[in-house]
Amino acid sequence: MATTTLTPAASSYRSGLYDWVTTTDHKKIGIMYVINSFIFFFVGGVLALAVRSELAFPGMQILTPLGYNESFTMHATFMIFLFVIPMLAGFGNYVVPLQIGAPDMAFPRINALSLWMLPLAGILLLSGFLTGGTAAAGWTSYAPLSEDHALAATGAGQDLWIVALILIGTSSILGAVNFLVTIFKMRAPGMTLFRMPIMVWTVLVTSVLVLMATPVITSALIMLFIDRNYGGAFFDPRVGGDPILYQNVFWFYSHPAVYVMILPAMGMISEILPVFSRKPLFGYKAFIFATAAIGALGFSVWAHHMFTTGAVYLPFFSLMTFLIAVPTGVKMFNWIFTMWRGQLMFKTPLLFAFGFLSMFLIGGINGAFSASVPVDFALHDTYWVVAHLHYVLFGGSVFGIMAGFYYWFPKMTGRMMNETLGKVQFVIMFIGFNMTFFPMHELGLAGMPRRIADYSSTAGWNDLNLVATIGGFLIALSMLPFLWNIFLSLRSGKPAGDDPWEGNTLEWATSSPPPAYNFDRLPDIRSERPLFDARHPSIAPVSDH
Amino acid sequence: MSSSSSARRSRPGLIWVATLIVAFVVVGALYVSGAGVRIVESLYPPPAVTDQGADTRELYNVVFLIAAVIFLLVEGLLVWTIIAYRRKPTDTELPPQTHGNSVAEIIWTVIPTLIVAFLFVISWQTLNKVDTVTATAETKIRAVAGQFQWEFDYMPPTYDPLAKEPVAPLYVEYAPTGAEGGLHIPTGRTIQLYLTSPDVIHAFYVPQFLFKRDVVPGRINAFAFNVQADQAGQTFRGQCAELCGIGHKDMLFDVHAMEGAAFDAWLADKVAQASATPAPPPSGGPAPSGGPAPSGGAAGPGTELAETAQNIAFTTTELTAPANSPITIKFDNQDAGTPHNIKIFKDSIGGQVVFDGKIFPGVATETYDVGPLAAGTYPFECFVHQNMTGTLTVQ
Repeated sequence: MATTTLTPAASSYRSGLYDWVTTTDHKKIGIMYVINSFIFFFVGGVLALAVRSELAFPGMQILTPLGYNESFTMHATFMIFLFVIPMLAGFGNYVVPLQIGAPDMAFPRINALSLWMLPLAGILLLSGFLTGGTAAAGWTSYAPLSEDHALAATGAGQDLWIVALILIGTSSILGAVNFLVTIFKMRAPGMTLFRMPIMVWTVLVTSVLVLMATPVITSALIMLFIDRNYGGAFFDPRVGGDPILYQNVFWFYSHPAVYVMILPAMGMISEILPVFSRKPLFGYKAFIFATAAIGALGFSVWAHHMFTTGAVYLPFFSLMTFLIAVPTGVKMFNWIFTMWRGQLMFKTPLLFAFGFLSMFLIGGINGAFSASVPVDFALHDTYWVVAHLHYVLFGGSVFGIMAGFYYWFPKMTGRMMNETLGKVQFVIMFIGFNMTFFPMHELGLAGMPRRIADYSSTAGWNDLNLVATIGGFLIALSMLPFLWNIFLSLRSGKPAGDDPWEGNTLEWATSSPPPAYNFDRLPDIRSERPLFDARHPSIAPVSDH
Repeated sequence: MSSSSSARRSRPGLIWVATLIVAFVVVGALYVSGAGVRIVESLYPPPAVTDQGADTRELYNVVFLIAAVIFLLVEGLLVWTIIAYRRKPTDTELPPQTHGNSVAEIIWTVIPTLIVAFLFVISWQTLNKVDTVTATAETKIRAVAGQFQWEFDYMPPTYDPLAKEPVAPLYVEYAPTGAEGGLHIPTGRTIQLYLTSPDVIHAFYVPQFLFKRDVVPGRINAFAFNVQADQAGQTFRGQCAELCGIGHKDMLFDVHAMEGAAFDAWLADKVAQASATPAPPPSGGPAPSGGPAPSGGAAGPGTELAETAQNIAFTTTELTAPANSPITIKFDNQDAGTPHNIKIFKDSIGGQVVFDGKIFPGVATETYDVGPLAAGTYPFECFVHQNMTGTLTVQ
């Protein structure tokens, strides 16, 4: 059998598993990113249930105070650094080369390296449980609490945490460079910047944020490591260091990281709404400018996490934080008017997209409370903030991830997912999410601080905490129809065909799943909706070649 | 043909009528039962007890009102769009392919910009009222937050944290809670609080003040406030709001508001008491009489006990020592990397703390100076692992 250099001989595949482990194919890497992220979503979720179970009733029931601190520290660490960020990078990996008509990422081997650093980092973090305790100073690991054993009662786990985060940061930086080069150098003929799908634009802006911000947190982590192990004096005031410096450097990354966690989810929603409305995205260019504006403003708001330190020029950061609401609002109106006068097809991806829009709206609006400095003085470090961040990162990012998963699963596997199970999952998750996190607004206003392992039974926080715990278990319950759906669909799902949703973008122009080289041929690209143009030649833009 | 189209038109109409009825019943039930009022109230912070908190609450009212209106409008538009434009079997033609509208984009850029600019301005105005320091505060109190309790130092009016010469407090309150302990403040006067920490970052937070401020080691954060006159006699709960370690949940304090004259009398009384008796020892230290006893001496050599922590457990759970003689515990932590300590209580765990040893990771040994104890039963625990317990019997 004649083989060309482009199609490797079948004998080179020693086994299916070996093929996956050694692959440099962006699609397989993307799928492995997604699987890896779901594994750590499970770990982080179990830790969240431990936290919620402890708080269900006043009194210490199942955890020690140290175990509680470890649980919420590792919950946030896993959810942020090993679930949301890599999950979105995974979708970017799978979707971006397909959407711009490229055969792969620009640096396939570096792409594999970025992926495989993540499970390694996860194992390092988990091994804290075996070496006398994980990090327990919160995912923010503020100095001087994180500086030595005596203060936070943490052992080697804090050092493992630092090393793991540096690894994840390195993976992010490599991934960002890879995305940028891919997007700038590997677009198909006709795919100009202003014809790129919004998903690609959000990954582009996200990559710029990662590239500019991640080295900064890496420096903070290295300084913390030196302080802890080699007698450095960067952050410890007892030897002349400054704990506020740590916060500035930490948040210079970690606030833009919020946009790293939400922009690609916004990109997914911006792909799904037009397809399921059978309309173009309303205000395509406005949407791109809004994305770029969020990215740019995102670098000037980090100190709004530090309003109560007494070491911040408050009006500047207040103003910039308020201003971020403007481009976010532009996006919200563009999404709504994308659906306006459309023909909405109520499949599961659209349901989760609706979940995203309705819940992210709450997370966005209650963000304005924190931008108002005096109001923030009252709300900061209370459960209000826990409510706010989960409305953004769960109501926003996780609902977006679910929407994207249901949307691209047919492309990744060639099989449709079960609609009934998808809708059951959505309803349970939506109710559970609101039961868990809405009462936290009220708890925070009533004065319950974050990160306390216990509370007095006379503080008036009992009922709301119990409701939140029940909601947390409902979210966990909603994972059962989801997992069953994946299992069922992989085994016996309806074949998807190339383009089950009447998609707009190039990934739907190839088979499901696509071949290793992605495309046999590409349609003409004359707008941001090349497949729509191909389906409706009568109203498509005139060919420019 | 016409009948089928009218049937199709009437079904959405029925849905709307049904939705309205359900909404009406729900709202009515909430109103009648009073639950609606409680829900709305739960979305507000507690009533403020300081002038500054009242300003913040006024600001909160405006922010909340604007946020609620925006939320209802946008969420309503969203839900209505989703219901109104769902795909119907008759939708065979493409809907109008609107790509955007520059006027609309300008409108929903400019109007939100104006709204947030307004919110920024009123927030800044309030900020200038609620976050102040004054050189002429009538009452100056230094709050020292350490792992894991609060101490309140009543400072003389001349106190200036930046002065070269340190000023001794008039009176130091070591107990953070209880009727006697905690922070006592006069109503109707300007109080300036100076926050310092010897170890990690804590935060001073009283929900009814609608205010909190971090207590940052190496830095003195100050803020001034007035408690409203009608709050005299009230007690407010305060709590550390910044994660400070495993005892974070225990860093509670009480704030007692008193009338100015009552406060003056209370403070004068406390100052007189304090000058009559020598200053109490720093917590965890030995009693003043003891001092480091030379080992092997005949007169009161004290008792050295040994305790070991291994595999998250104390190897000895029963310790015995003679009464009224200095006790030291040689504590050997055999768990590599795992922190332990010994915390000793009078009578029962959770009761009065008689000794709180330094937390340290293994493998290492520390010698704790517990000091002399009266006869009795003293249960102890590892504060890090509260399932590690034992009993010290003093007889």
